[in-house]
Amino acid sequence: MSKEMILMLHPTFGVLAMIAAVWVFVEALNASDANIGRLRNASVLSAILIWLAYIVGGYWYVIYYGGDKALIKAGPWPFAHGFFMETKEHLFLMLLLLGTFLPIAAYGDVVKKKVTRKLVLWTSALVVLMGLSMEGAGAFINMGVKVALLAKQL
Amino acid sequence: MTTSNTNMAETASARVTGYGISYAITSILSALLVVLKESNESVLNLMVSLTGHHWITHGLLDVILFVALGALLSSRNITMSGNTLISTVVGSTILSGLIIAGFFLQ
Repeated sequence: MSKEMILMLHPTFGVLAMIAAVWVFVEALNASDANIGRLRNASVLSAILIWLAYIVGGYWYVIYYGGDKALIKAGPWPFAHGFFMETKEHLFLMLLLLGTFLPIAAYGDVVKKKVTRKLVLWTSALVVLMGLSMEGAGAFINMGVKVALLAKQL
Repeated sequence: MTTSNTNMAETASARVTGYGISYAITSILSALLVVLKESNESVLNLMVSLTGHHWITHGLLDVILFVALGALLSSRNITMSGNTLISTVVGSTILSGLIIAGFFLQ
């Protein structure tokens, strides 16, 4: 598999994890004995997808990112690495833990305890918001490489 | 944190509470480790020497701490009101995010 394909898998797993977290949020709004199974399955799915995004993205970051990093830092958008990549790579670790916590909360008493349901709602919402910030930061990093390559051609 | 008169209907289970607190502690410590390793080259070099990359070491430390603290706190049967637990999880996420983003913004 090419390194570009490996890189594309990272945001793909990330978006799918966010969709699964939205699914958890919607199920939690009306949690009952009828949908608790779906809610828990979606929370596990979200966690698995976040871990896949972490492993694939982490592999690419550790093995291949050095070249892009040098390009970005020498280009017109050095902040694409200095702020966005640095922040993203460390915020992702929190997202990984939060995504792991989501099924733990979902396997609590979501149906009978209102606070557990509220916790699942907040956790899934945070997973979505943090996931969106990861996608946004990724777009800046991508653009940082692009403008650096364009600047080299001029 | 532990209150004898807390209404049990307003608390999450021991496992959910334990891992929720564990997440909050780990996320804040992780953010502080970012500041420490980026400010102190010897810490950064130590983290690199452990696994070959500081970020791999950082991730491993986070996961190990989260699981270990979660297991420990779950077994302690900590009673915390559900709303306090939610505030702890949300607040630590916001605080950790601000520490990390604020550090790299300067």
